[in-house]
Amino acid sequence: MNLYLYLDKDTPIHRMDPRAKLFVLLFSFALPLLNQHPLWVAGAFAVILAYGAAARSLENLRRIRQILFFIFIFSTLVWTFFAKGTDVLIWRVSRQSILYGIGTGLKLDAMIIAGMVFLSTTKNEEISQGLILLGLPYPMAFAFSTALRLVPTFVGAGATIAQAQRSRGLDIDSGSFIERVRKYIPLLVPIFLTAIRSSDGLAMALEGKGFGASTKRTFYLRFKWTARETVVVGLFLALVVANTYLTLTGRTLIRGLMK
Amino acid sequence: MNAVEVQGLSFAYKGSEREAISGVDLAISPGEFVVLMGPSGAGKSTFCLTLNGLIPNFKKGKYSGEVRVFGVPTKKHKVSDLARDIVLVFQDFETQIFSTNVELEVAFGPENFGVDPDEIGRRIHATLKRVRLDGFEARQPATLSGGQKQRLAIASALSIQPRIICMDEPTTDLDPIGKFDVFQVADELSREKNMTMLIVEHETEEALKADRIVLMRDGRIVAEGNARAILASPALLEECSVKPLEVAEFFASLGPGASLDGGELPLTVEEGLSAWERLGLAADRRRLDSLVSEKTRQQQAGYGDPVIEVRNLVHRYENGLEALRGVDLTIRRGEFVAVLGQNGSGKTTLVKHFNGLLAPTGGEVVVNARDTRATSMFELSKTVGYVFQNPDHQIFAQTVFDEVAYGPRLFGVPEGEVKARVVDALEAVGLTGSEEEDPFSLTKGQRQRVAVASVLAAKPEVIILDEPTTGLDYKEQESMMDLIKRLNEMGHTIIIVTHSMWVTAAYAHRAVVLKEGQVVMDGPVRDVFVREKELADVFLKPPQIVRFGARLGLPVLTVDELVACVGREEGARK
Ligand SMILES: Nc1ncnc2c1ncn2[C@@H]1O[C@H](COP(=O)(O)OP(=O)(O)OP(=O)(O)O)[C@@H](O)[C@H]1O
Ligand SMILES: [Mg+2]
Repeated sequence: MNLYLYLDKDTPIHRMDPRAKLFVLLFSFALPLLNQHPLWVAGAFAVILAYGAAARSLENLRRIRQILFFIFIFSTLVWTFFAKGTDVLIWRVSRQSILYGIGTGLKLDAMIIAGMVFLSTTKNEEISQGLILLGLPYPMAFAFSTALRLVPTFVGAGATIAQAQRSRGLDIDSGSFIERVRKYIPLLVPIFLTAIRSSDGLAMALEGKGFGASTKRTFYLRFKWTARETVVVGLFLALVVANTYLTLTGRTLIRGLMK
Repeated sequence: MNAVEVQGLSFAYKGSEREAISGVDLAISPGEFVVLMGPSGAGKSTFCLTLNGLIPNFKKGKYSGEVRVFGVPTKKHKVSDLARDIVLVFQDFETQIFSTNVELEVAFGPENFGVDPDEIGRRIHATLKRVRLDGFEARQPATLSGGQKQRLAIASALSIQPRIICMDEPTTDLDPIGKFDVFQVADELSREKNMTMLIVEHETEEALKADRIVLMRDGRIVAEGNARAILASPALLEECSVKPLEVAEFFASLGPGASLDGGELPLTVEEGLSAWERLGLAADRRRLDSLVSEKTRQQQAGYGDPVIEVRNLVHRYENGLEALRGVDLTIRRGEFVAVLGQNGSGKTTLVKHFNGLLAPTGGEVVVNARDTRATSMFELSKTVGYVFQNPDHQIFAQTVFDEVAYGPRLFGVPEGEVKARVVDALEAVGLTGSEEEDPFSLTKGQRQRVAVASVLAAKPEVIILDEPTTGLDYKEQESMMDLIKRLNEMGHTIIIVTHSMWVTAAYAHRAVVLKEGQVVMDGPVRDVFVREKELADVFLKPPQIVRFGARLGLPVLTVDELVACVGREEGARK
């Protein structure tokens, strides 16, 4: 079991400056958000998928497909009933509300995929390094990267503990819902205690190795902002600008939608 | 100026009455190599934490006295600033690894001190090579074996190149040659780079390399001195629960009658050999042979039909690494098997197949005539119990009773019988009377016993223990192993994974040696341990007394065996 999303691959996108990856993340959040009509959202979706394919990171889709599916169905259904449109089909459902529901579902999924591609191509260390390079104050980057670093520790401990309890005969995957919840108790206590111990240990290890000692921290991973970064970020920026223009002039909206 | 200067240091953790260390005075000069030994709970780890100021800056409590590192009082300084001078490797090394790959873990320290990236690259290369982790640069730490993680923790401290390094039990999970390497490296650094070394350790043979040994007990320093002098005082070691050197133990057991002609107690194999000659000792080979055949007969009398059969087993992890490459193995009922091998050789991977924690990616594992792939873990866990190395990964109940009763209750055993089983299990591990205690208030050695008891209560035929003696002091190790031996005599099949060679020699019947995912040696421990050369190729080293015996042409496994066949007057030792 491996819950890190990071994929250690050697693609041009993996090699990009983390600042560029952060910009791309920002812009690929913006693209779906700018649009309302599902066709336009689908366009943004396609751009994100293409970027993910270029980074050879779409294999991670398999791991989050249930979340994607659930979110899509849920928001489509909810908005189909809650949005209002002029061409009513039956009861609260209108042509526009269906379109809006599908659009919103796609939007959320597109954003999750954008986040997934970012995490698949960017190591924890690169994220904090990127944030510091972008001028985030040191203490904030410190806190942020500490939080990021705890994730793998917990995941690792969780997996070991689950193994330990399963080998005592704990059968996590069967029984009714209530039974299953009850079965998780033996996992929770050791996970909780391990979490406390490891966040304690982590803080001690970070300080003990001089984290925060010198204001002149260097980075072993080196990145250069090259033409490649400018082109990729520029391309996304151009898309966002063009899309903003089209949205402001009303061309990406669903006609007849009444909020 | 002293590298470390400790004066009248006492500390009690917040919420605890008892002082973890009390009134410690110690001075360590630059470039000195000091080993700190003592029983569990002696305050060794607490002492280490005071050195770089984590106590009292981070862990609060009642602190008095002073610690100075190169003249700087640690109490008033930020831990991160002190890291330039002193770096700790914690006992609990799993919690100090946090990077996404091996290389960045090693780079972390130097980065904090603004070391030039090119230089960091060179340090990564050099330190990973030193700890035999070269080639693992891009690996995720979570996919490393236990020993590989420990090596990584050491490398990430070395790369900072501080003036003092303090390592708290840094070799618990290392293979025998790996243990040796750590002390070799420490010795080199102290000699060549004038680095000051303080290592907390239980292994005596390694400690011989140190300039000085400090013995602690109950929060106090009970003795300190030249490594040889300390290791030649059996009574002192006994008092501090430190395993004596086996050669020394042998000569000491000959009694004062066999005076060493005023000479010192021999400590190494070479010294032992010359003392042997000087004293004109001779062994009764026939006596040894009959002793051996009697032992073998007794062990094999308990064997039944095969319970675990492994055929051409292959295991490939998700990342494509082939950890097992065609293992064939048959284990019979009643056997006591030790699985040995260097770090990363596939030991844990192998035994996790026996209770279904891992499924073969090739070949098959048959337990009790049933293919493990076709049997649920729930079923398998009734036959095969698995005690994890870290008891804290499984303990969750509020009382010892509930913890031990958990397995049987899961299997639907009626409550009346559950009670009986818990009583039996606790009795077997020597914890009768602790039913109502909170498991988390027990010592590590006791928690380990609770873990064993909770596996026992499910009455599995086979019990697997992954490194059952790590983190325990000598006496705890002995009593743990005596317990396991009793279980074996009661009819349980025992499989242990271990790096402890003396444990294997003294307790196991059979040794299975793995190398790069294949079985390279398999047979009675005695037969395997005489193949010293081949063992060295797989980074193993038989215990001192076995190597000593081998030089005399005597295939002994323990000090007792050697004593028995030297044939001195009876009664000196059983
Ligand atoms: N979850 C995992 N994913 C990928 N590779 C792994 C995983 N666990 C272990 N490995 C690799 O498989 C090999 C065998 O590992 P294993 O844990 O079985 O070794 P071991 O003999 O128990 O070592 P140690 O003595 O250090 O405990 C090692 O090279 C290790 O790095
Ligand atoms: Mg292992």
